Parts: sequence; structure tokens; C-alpha cells
Amino acid sequence: MRKKLVALALSLCCGAVVAAAADRIFTTANPATELKRLFPAATAFSTLTGEPLHFTAYAADPKVTPATPPLGVAFWTTDLVPQEHGYHGPIHILVGMDMTGVLTGVVVTYDSEPYGYFSVEPPKFATQFKGKKIGDPFRVGGDVDVVSRASISIASATRAIRDSARMAAKQLLAEAAK
Amino acid sequence: MDPAVESWREILAPQALDLCLLTAFLALAFVSFFRKSVALKYVTLVASVGYLGFAKSSLVSVSDVFRLTDLSVPEFKYSLAWYAFMLFVVFSTVLWGRVYCGRVCAFGALTQLLDPIIPRKWRFEIPVRVEKYANLIKYAILAAVLVYFLITHDVALPVRYVEPFWMFSLFGTTGMWVGLGVLLAATLIVRNVYCRFLCPVGAALGIISQLTTVFSIKRWSECRTCKICEKTCEWGAIRGPKIVKSECVRCDDCERLYMDQKKCPHWLILFKRKGNTAVPVSTLS
Repeated sequence: MRKKLVALALSLCCGAVVAAAADRIFTTANPATELKRLFPAATAFSTLTGEPLHFTAYAADPKVTPATPPLGVAFWTTDLVPQEHGYHGPIHILVGMDMTGVLTGVVVTYDSEPYGYFSVEPPKFATQFKGKKIGDPFRVGGDVDVVSRASISIASATRAIRDSARMAAKQLLAEAAK
Repeated sequence: MDPAVESWREILAPQALDLCLLTAFLALAFVSFFRKSVALKYVTLVASVGYLGFAKSSLVSVSDVFRLTDLSVPEFKYSLAWYAFMLFVVFSTVLWGRVYCGRVCAFGALTQLLDPIIPRKWRFEIPVRVEKYANLIKYAILAAVLVYFLITHDVALPVRYVEPFWMFSLFGTTGMWVGLGVLLAATLIVRNVYCRFLCPVGAALGIISQLTTVFSIKRWSECRTCKICEKTCEWGAIRGPKIVKSECVRCDDCERLYMDQKKCPHWLILFKRKGNTAVPVSTLS
């Protein structure tokens, strides 16, 4: 019996090694439908580029009309704050922000939270970030709704949105816009 | 405007209440365990269902076994109570065995609270020779969900359909509630059916218990022939002179018997030889 259990433990360890080497799920590089949801007025988007990595939304194709000003930027929380983990791994959120530091919306595209189905996945979670300014408190229990029994997931997703938006604003938006 | 400008005060304040309540609960669990008190154990079980269950939904899930394979953990400074809880689970299992299963897990606590309420005639006791093999089902389930997770990286399906722990969140689809209903109905007939035969977390902790358990339960030499504890053990964890560490959840039932100088043959034989009646345990053990 003891030998069997040791063998089982060893096989679990082997499984762990295999898993570590296996594919991880990465953020999609061309989230066309999600970008359209964040910027309905936009007709063109840049590719994922820049430092930090972001998409730029335009009302008119900049290849045709080079002078067209950007409507805003969109970025993945997983690119900007990769260290931010929820209960089980990073929560993939695409954040849209206009050029004045106001969020145009967020889209949660993937999570592996055990209780994701009643915390970060319902649209109710994402919609409350629309119209938020980067200087807002983003406090769970304050301007962000509490979901009891899923506090780690909600807190992590909220921090990811707040920190990535502030980071993007600092580096991408014009000084005057802040 | 900088992202990381939170003071420790801002980080700790939202967690303070949970840290205090968790510490209080774990202290209660330890006191009930070390005093072998029946009353305190029931207080612990009720507190577990109320606080760790319905209030926090903080149970060790098979997703916590999954994280051993990808080493994905919540952020430390924002999840102090969770880390304290997990440390407790690992250390208590290494030191004493499946204490977590026996009195901390909210679902286990719930099914154990059903025990004294359900009439004995409803019960079906699984024969020992069947039980030996039925115990292995949970290891098969653990292996199956681990393989499923390694292939798909999907946490949601095992959490919703292999475990009943989501019930404390009260969020479930009709299918999930029906499954839970079937499981609870089975629990009325077979005592703690989920914990003993099906739980993959119990299987994982069972492996740790089997390999470690620093402080195992004492056995007398008389235990070789006496069956009183074996018959009393509601977890089927005593087979002859041996305690099966992977099945024992440290419920205290046999340990209370060892101390009972009117029931345990160890004492009865000792007193017969010495020709006197009960003496304080402390002077003998």
C-alpha cells in the first residue's frame, strides 16, 4: 500500500513537470470584436504595439487620413500587469481608455477562477468600470461592487484594471490630458 | 497616480476582520482537537458551516491541487487569510493527518452534522471488504480530474461538477443543484459518502497523511485482539490493529475510547491485575 502511494505521489510530480512545460493560454493578439465593443465609433485600430503594448483606436483609417487623432487606446491587463494573479492565474481583461483617462469599458475574455462564473464573468462586473476615471479609488466595497465568497477574484481583477489603466495613462496619454 | 503606492495600512485594513475570524476559528478547531471534547467539536462543525462555508466559501478545492502543477497562487499581500488557511491545512495534515477533513472542511462538517439527526434505520453500512475498494474511488477521481486539467487547463468543470463545495456560494445551475441533491440524498443513506469515497481533495490529503502524519494515534498492545474501536470508527479507518492513515480524519472517537477506563480493555485488564479501580490517566500513560 505504501509503495503504491509513493508511486502515485511520484506520478503526480511527473504530471506537474509535464504541465509546467505544456502550453499556457495566452492573450489573443487581435481581439477585433472586443475592440469594437470598447470603441463603437472607431473604424480602424492599430496592431498591438508600443511600450506598453496597446492598440490605438481611430475614427478614420490613419493610412488614408494621416492627421486623424486617436479616439483612445486599448490594452490587455495581462500585458501591463502580468504579475497580477487572481485565485488561479491571471484574469485576461481588455481595457479601453479615451485620451482623457476615462475608461470606455472593459471586457473579460478569459479566466480560470473556480468561482469566475459568479464573480468576474457576469457582464455586471465589467459594466461598472465604464466611465471610470483613472484617478477614481477603484475600491472593492466602495465604487466597485463586493461579490462575497469570491473576494480574491474580484479584488485581483479590479487591481489589474486600475493599475494597468494608470500605467497606460502615464505613458501613453498626453501630459495635458491628465 | 503610480500603480503601486498603497500603504500597508491600506492593504491590511480590508483583510483584518477575516484574519481575526479565521484565527479564532482555527484556534477553536485546535482546542476541540486537543481536548477531545465532543461538545467543542460540534461547536467547531457549526462554526465551519457558518463561517468557512456560507460566509466565506473558503474550502480547499481540487483547484488548489491543480495549482501544484502550474504553481499559480494568489498575490500574497492581498490574500493573507488564504495563505494562513492553506498553511494550516498543509501543516495540520503533515503533523496529525486529515484533521482538515474531520472538522474544518465546511462540507464535511455539514454531512457530519447530519449524522446525529438521521434515524439509524435509514443507514446502510457498507461491508468492510467493499469499503476497502470503495475508498480507492477518490484516488481515481483525483487522477482523472488532474489529467483533465493538464490537458484542458479548465478549472470550471471540475469545480462545478466533481465537487459540491460551490453550494456554499448558492450560485448554481439547475444541473448542479440536481447533482447536489442526489449527493445529499446518498449521504442520508451512506454516512459521509462524499468524504470517504469520492472527494479528490480528501484523496490528496490522504496521500500526504499516509506519507507523513508525525503524531499518529496511539494503539495499545490489546488493540490486536479488541475490536471495540474498529466497530466504533465511523470512517472505516481502523482495520485490525492498524489505523489507516489515509482514511482517518482524527475524529477523536477511538481516542476517547482509549481514555475511557470503563470501556477500554487496556485499562480493564490493568485494573484486574492490580486489583483496584480507576486511576487518573496522567499517572499511567
